[in-house]
Amino acid sequence: MASGKNPDTKLSHTAAMILQAVDAGFVYGFSIMEMTGLPSGTVYPAMRRLERDDLIRSQWEKQSIADAEQRPPRKYYKLTAAGRTTLENSRKRYPLLERLIPSDEARTT
Amino acid sequence: MKHSATPLVQLPALIFNLGLLAGAWLIVPAGGRTDWWREWRAELWQARNEYAYEQRFSWSSECAIASFCLGAYQDAVCLRRLHRHTRTARPVHFGAAWQCILILATLLGASYALMHVLPGVRAKQQLSHLETRSGLVLIKYTNNEDSLPTISSGQYRAWKDQKQEFFDGFAFYRITKENVSWDQLDRSRDSAGWGVARASSNFFTLLGVPVQFESSAETMAPDIPSLVLSERAWRTEFGANPEIVGSKVRLGSLAARIVGVLPEGTLGLPGNVDAWLLEPDSKAVPGRAGYVVAHLSASGRSRMQSGSIQITSYAPHRTPDDLLGTSIDRDFPSSRAVFLFAILLAFLALPAITSVSVSDYSVSLHEISWARRVYRWAFLVAKIALVLPTVYFGAVDIGYGFTGLDTIHAMYAQLAFSLFGCLFGLSWALSDQRRRCPVCLERVAHPARVGQFSRTFLAWSGTELMCTGGHTLLHVPALPTSWFSTQRWMFLDPSWKFLFADPVQD
Repeated sequence: MASGKNPDTKLSHTAAMILQAVDAGFVYGFSIMEMTGLPSGTVYPAMRRLERDDLIRSQWEKQSIADAEQRPPRKYYKLTAAGRTTLENSRKRYPLLERLIPSDEARTT
Repeated sequence: MKHSATPLVQLPALIFNLGLLAGAWLIVPAGGRTDWWREWRAELWQARNEYAYEQRFSWSSECAIASFCLGAYQDAVCLRRLHRHTRTARPVHFGAAWQCILILATLLGASYALMHVLPGVRAKQQLSHLETRSGLVLIKYTNNEDSLPTISSGQYRAWKDQKQEFFDGFAFYRITKENVSWDQLDRSRDSAGWGVARASSNFFTLLGVPVQFESSAETMAPDIPSLVLSERAWRTEFGANPEIVGSKVRLGSLAARIVGVLPEGTLGLPGNVDAWLLEPDSKAVPGRAGYVVAHLSASGRSRMQSGSIQITSYAPHRTPDDLLGTSIDRDFPSSRAVFLFAILLAFLALPAITSVSVSDYSVSLHEISWARRVYRWAFLVAKIALVLPTVYFGAVDIGYGFTGLDTIHAMYAQLAFSLFGCLFGLSWALSDQRRRCPVCLERVAHPARVGQFSRTFLAWSGTELMCTGGHTLLHVPALPTSWFSTQRWMFLDPSWKFLFADPVQD
């Protein structure tokens, strides 16, 4: 049963970092780990809670894409609308968040 | 699916990593395991691809990968917690048919196991191995009680030495209280007040009773009398040590050697005996009264009437003595026969204490399938099939294991417990059956009083119970009337479904 989280709810810094990483394009567990520097025992449980709160949503990669790259298919995560609003609020709370994990656009410019 | 192959040198490490993940996989709730495993396999591939060197083994990189895999345990625990919190709390209801069968099977197993643990019950089981020869009688004076020793050793010797018409063997014993001492583990031990039966050396041969751990006479010094311990004394005083056979003990001032152990059980002879001291007749103290056991000859057996034989003993210069030989053959019914008798009584008495009907009276047009009907009857039969042996084992446990009664009283105790056990067990099986939903066999619950008892003849009054699965509603009248004499089932149609929670999947 999903318990939708109020977008105004304050996230912990770790959860906000993970949300920021997903928004920045690091969309599977290991890449989020690499980007944030957090251990696997922190990242994956945090992602389970974010998914439970409907802030992120997961989706399996297509088998054909994984086969083409000769690796197992990944489980990708992306922000939901509620997740995006929560992230916006978290950025105000943690101003260094965007500098720690620059978003896609910031990195390309 | 084609992945890049793992180099052979890294294969053991990969297997170790997968083993770690498999351990965590067990913690993950059953419903999400496939998805979880698939994700972590993909992540492990990514981690190995990132950390491990292609063609060589590196401890530092393997440690990093193992550390990554250990994170799976925290993830699994988190999933388990989330699952527990999101699960709908289901009311605890111990009413399913399988739970009933499981509880009955557990009770049956417990009562059966108890039978093998309780010493009294084991003694009862061993009693069949302790059967004495047939045709044995205990001789006493006509006017004396069974329990009093009346025959002197001199009289016994005189009978033994004379040619007898009715008997072909005699044995004598008398019971004394003795202080017994022995050496055990380099320590001297003693025990006061043993009941020691000083018996003639042919005692066990005449009775035809086997002695456990019996040592051969050749290995024993002939000048020391032999001592046969009762199983109770062997267990309590010697810790059931079979090595004790052959060792010496002192009975007061007399030395004796233990030659065997008599299996537990009653011989059917008077006296409470801890040990049997076998001594030659020449050493028997003359004049002391004891008991005489005799074996009937063919002629004697023909004179037996109702388990006893009248004997007249003639001796020179004495008036003839009138004696009575009472059979010590024990002919008790077996515990199974007692139980079968109890079942018969219980079936006869059952209609007096409960209704034996389990029929369905339905107030709605709903036909239960034949398969369901068979299942329902099979459940009733299974319950009875589990209840009856449980009662049997339980009654034997109580009769022989706890009461400390002698055989005949224990048998009556077993009969009483068997009768009440069968009666109430069968009564429970039937009443439980009447309270089970005909569709799912779960016990109906949530009783609700409906109507007023004082208005029974004006409106319906009774109790309604509901199947938690949402199949049926049971109406039980408070007072059986001509128009509502027995309970009735109402089968609920699908429109009721919204009232019942869906079963929760783990």
